[in-house]
Order: sequence, then structure tokens, then C-alpha cells
Amino acid sequence: MDRRTLMGASAAVTAVVSSFFTGRKAYAKTDAKVMPAGTLAPRGRFGRMERLATLDLESRQDFLMSFRTWANTDLSRAANMRGDAILAAKGIPKDADLKREEAVALLQDDPLIQTSTRAWISCQQLSWNGLKEEFDDNADKYLSEMEATDKMGPGKLELNPNAIFPDYVKHEIHIQPGGYVGSEFAGHMYHYGTNGFYTGRNTNDELHVGAASRMPIPKDGKALRILDVGCGIGQLAMALKERFPDAEVWGIDAGGPMIRYAHLRAVERGLDVNFAQRLGEDTKFPDNYFDIVTSYIMFHEVNPEGTAGHVKEAMRIVRPGGIYYPLDFKLTGVQRRTAYGQYRSWWDHRWNNEVWSLKFRANGLPDMIRKAGFDLNEQEPELLRGFGVLNATKPATS
Amino acid sequence: MADEKRAGDRPKAASDFIKSDSDNAVFLGNPHIDNLMTIVIAMGAEIWADRQRMRIIEHLLETKGKVTKDMVEQFVPSDEQKAAWGAERDAMAKRVYSVMARDTSTAKPFGEEFKYK
Repeated sequence: MDRRTLMGASAAVTAVVSSFFTGRKAYAKTDAKVMPAGTLAPRGRFGRMERLATLDLESRQDFLMSFRTWANTDLSRAANMRGDAILAAKGIPKDADLKREEAVALLQDDPLIQTSTRAWISCQQLSWNGLKEEFDDNADKYLSEMEATDKMGPGKLELNPNAIFPDYVKHEIHIQPGGYVGSEFAGHMYHYGTNGFYTGRNTNDELHVGAASRMPIPKDGKALRILDVGCGIGQLAMALKERFPDAEVWGIDAGGPMIRYAHLRAVERGLDVNFAQRLGEDTKFPDNYFDIVTSYIMFHEVNPEGTAGHVKEAMRIVRPGGIYYPLDFKLTGVQRRTAYGQYRSWWDHRWNNEVWSLKFRANGLPDMIRKAGFDLNEQEPELLRGFGVLNATKPATS
Repeated sequence: MADEKRAGDRPKAASDFIKSDSDNAVFLGNPHIDNLMTIVIAMGAEIWADRQRMRIIEHLLETKGKVTKDMVEQFVPSDEQKAAWGAERDAMAKRVYSVMARDTSTAKPFGEEFKYK
């Protein structure tokens, strides 16, 4: 009998489920890091990631990842060259400093460029819709699985689905159906849907583990309380727990379904990480509570008001001498985009529903962090290659 | 359908969301042509799914001498197989769709100059 069969059964099998997880907990004591392939998931695992329920679904998702990679490389290069040719035909140098709206106006009606956009968006829609169909059509077993672990430890799960959250968290970012808040399976869809983004580096949370391994610690060496804001499905929070096993680690996110899935994964892996449905600008933690506060590629999905609120709250909850490191896309020292690059950033915002991505680039986050009172180092360490460096320390005297 | 399955007193974590309008985007001048692009990509995924199944069946027949549906569904490829099949998949996407990247800026619609005289 596999996990899904167990979880899909009626309440009458609660005792069986309990004993099953008791066994799992015992296992977790011996090795919390890697689950053995195939012992809990019907089709086994690739690394830490449970395989999708059917071979056909898995294969279709794999193909869409390959298509996306091709669209991001060959097709994107062709569109970029076409953009240069359009500029040349109009006597505009290809390195001209165009405003985004100028670049969009020049390029948006070209058939090749439109084809590249259509292809990318179609691929994205197909991927999400395939996943949504699986989880919605088999809702009972997936919900049962989460219900069985909601109250299990070692970490805690705090859901607040009736809390009033600002609208900026409610968008279907990346056109994920329901976004991070509107589907019970937001966490499931996000986990598998981001395979296309990570292209093979998602099965063992590779980027999150890498970022956690490079996370700076306070100069006094104390890292006993750590918070991941906007933690999503908890990949960084869990990686930080693995690096700092004695620390009290929290992940908070406005997306209840996201942290519910994060909790499921933490229970499976025997990791003592707490997840709570809270806002980054209103974390509910005491003043000066954390040694490290971080976030993983979150701020470009937050509106300007929320961004200011997050930074202010971070200043309140980071203890003097503590670290604040919001990891996100690079904001300073960015190479100027080509006309096609400008256009692409626009359609990513407009049609991939990166609602706040353009404002993120204009928010002045580094200055905001300085003005809040942090000492900001924008040079090191680089947690992820090519991403921004915002390594802030709360002055010891504040 | 899915909502019916979730009905009742089950604990919920989801809440209201703001729907994007990307489903209504038209890039190719006619929403039905946009649909065809989606269909073409989806067909590629379906063909690959069959090809993947075929690779697994071939492997099982070679190594086990028999195949059942469960054996196919639960087959876990080796690292070598994953790499080889992944490369084959990437190559297929490139081979099938590369025409999409063709520069058509000098292409002309069907007209008098193409007619038999």
C-alpha cells in the first residue's frame, strides 16, 4: 500500500495512518535529509521530490521543460536578432538607450517576436493546466495527505485563511492558477511548475541549499533564530534548518496552501521548521527576535507599499548585530537590456503576470534598507550566482 | 467537479484571489491561431509521452523479458537513462520547433508572382 492509498482512505484508517507516520518519524530520526526512493510515493522519488502521479503527466511536464528551454535560448535569440533588425531598419543603433515603452512600441507587432511570446506563454499555460488537472481531479487524496500531516511535528503549522491580506498577494503570479492563495494545491503546483524554471535543479532544492550554505551569519557567530519571509513551499527555510540544526527556524508566507505543503514536506523529512501564514510587514514576532531574517526571490512579487513595510518590520525583528539578507534579482550593476530585453521584461510583467516586477526594479530597495537603519553590503556574499547582493546588518547599538 | 470533492468541513487554506487576464491575450492576430500554437506545443508533449513510454517498454523487454502496466508506470530510470532521454527530448523540441525561429521578415503572402504563368 502506498502513501496516497493510505491518505485517500476514510477516517476509519486514521490509526493506520498514524502508525504509518509513527514509522516515518522513526525513520526520520536516523536520516532526516533524504527519503528512500519509492518507499512513500507511489512512483518513487527523484531526490527529495515525489514523482508525479502518472508517467504521462511526468513526461508531458518534462517535454514542456525542454520546450521552454528551447524557447528561452534559440527562439529568444532569434527574437533578439529580429529586434536588432527592426531598430536597424529605422536607423536606431542597437545599443540605443530606449525607454521600455519605446522598445515595446517598436517590437510588439512583429510576427517573429509575437510568436516567441505566444510560444512561451502557451508552454507556461500548458504546464500549469496539466498540473491543476491532476491535483483538482484527485483532490481527495491530496487533501487527505495534507490533513494527515497538518497537526504533526516536529515543526508547527499555523494557518490563518480568514485573515485579511492585502490585494498584492492575491494575484496569479506567473499565471499560476489561483496564485499562491487561491488554490488548495498552490504549493503542489508551484513545486512541480518551477521545475521548468530550475531546469533539473529542483529535485533536491539545489539552489536553496546553495543559498543557505552561503548565508552570512552575525559576527558574534550566533544564529539560533532564523526567519524566511515569503517562504513559499519552504525550500530555503528547510535548507537553513539543515545548515543550522540547532536553530529555531520559521517560514512565513501569505499563501496558506503554500505553507501547508511546506509543512507536509518538512514532516516527511523530519525537519523541525515552523510555518505560519503571516505577512512580512506584520510578522507578529517580538522586537529583536531573530539573528537572521531572509527571503528568497520574493520582493519582485511585492508591491511598493508592502516592500516598505517588509523592510521596516525586518528592522524591528532583527536583533542588533543580526543579519537581514533579502535575496532577489540584481538591482545594481545590471547590464543594460537590448530592445528585445526591454520588451521581454514587459511581457513577463504583463502576460506572465509578474505584476510587481517592473516596480521592484524602481523601488530603490537598497536605499530603503539603508534608510531603515541597516548597514548594507552590496558586494558579498553572493548567495546565488547572477542574483543581487543585499547583505544588511542591524547596527549593534540600535 | 473539484469543488464538490472539497466540499464539507474539510480544513481549507485557500482564499480569494485575483484572476489574471492572460488567457485572453492574442499575440498572433486571431485567437484561434493563438490556440493552434498551444495545440502544437501540447501535441509535442503528447508525442513525447508516448515516446517515453516506448523507451521504457523497450528497456523492460530487453532486461526483464516482460512488461506490465505497473512496471511501466513505476519504472525509475537510471541517471544515464535520464540524461540520455533528456537529451533526446531537448533535441526533439529543437528539431520540431526550430522553424518557428525562422526570420520571416522577407516572406511574402501568396500573390500573383507565385502563380503559374
